[in-house]
Amino acid sequence: MSNISRVFPVFAIAFAVIYIASVYFNLAVLTYHPQLVQWGPLVEAPKQGPAMYWYGWLITSAAGSAAIAALALALPARALDRACAVLVWLVPLIMIAVIMYILRGYFLR
Amino acid sequence: MFSFLLIIHSLLAVTLLGALTHQTISVWWPVAKRTGSFISSVRSVPSMTYTNAVIVLYLVTAVFGAWIYTEYRLSIRVTLQDYRMHVPEGAFELKEHVVTIGLGLLPAYWYYWRQPADAAHARTRAIVTALLAAIVWYSFLTGHVLNNIRGFGS
Repeated sequence: MSNISRVFPVFAIAFAVIYIASVYFNLAVLTYHPQLVQWGPLVEAPKQGPAMYWYGWLITSAAGSAAIAALALALPARALDRACAVLVWLVPLIMIAVIMYILRGYFLR
Repeated sequence: MFSFLLIIHSLLAVTLLGALTHQTISVWWPVAKRTGSFISSVRSVPSMTYTNAVIVLYLVTAVFGAWIYTEYRLSIRVTLQDYRMHVPEGAFELKEHVVTIGLGLLPAYWYYWRQPADAAHARTRAIVTALLAAIVWYSFLTGHVLNNIRGFGS
């Protein structure tokens, strides 16, 4: 467990980046149509009522960051640990700033 | 049905907020000697013991949030758009995204709080905890404001 857990910070860093990319480029692996109570694969256009992509973005981010974290197991533990100690909070903070910029239209109207 | 789920979601959020706030205060402003005062008690909580509770509460609160999110998209968001309430709508959009980033941060949060505590990671542990606390505070306040606009029973 301790060997696997050392890449948990990598998962967090990758998750923040992939999630924001998923939102910006709409990389949802599934779409939910709440009015129809219907799921669809990948990105589908709204059918009746709104289409919800958030669940799809979540799965995209979890799968992508899990894959990156698995690859990071091959990296030297000490160097990875040192880099992650800063990046683990800095990258999510930057991604929050990015999403605030993306959503700025709501606050500047 | 959704009003009931919203109340459960809110109660879970309050509990999570309390746990994370206590942990953040105790890690950033620890007390050397407990005096018995209220402030001293808040600062001297055993912060390590909050970790698993915070993770479970965050996950369960997020599950309830994801469940009632459909109702927000179908009923509440439309009303906000009809009344041109762009700032509350944007604040909720931001909440959705920062909460998700917080969700992804949980494995790292667990890693930096695992026992025995690693002194070399004390600073990272403190910053990650504060970041999660800020995310939960922002989300709680935004949810509260949205609930005041069009929440319970609407």
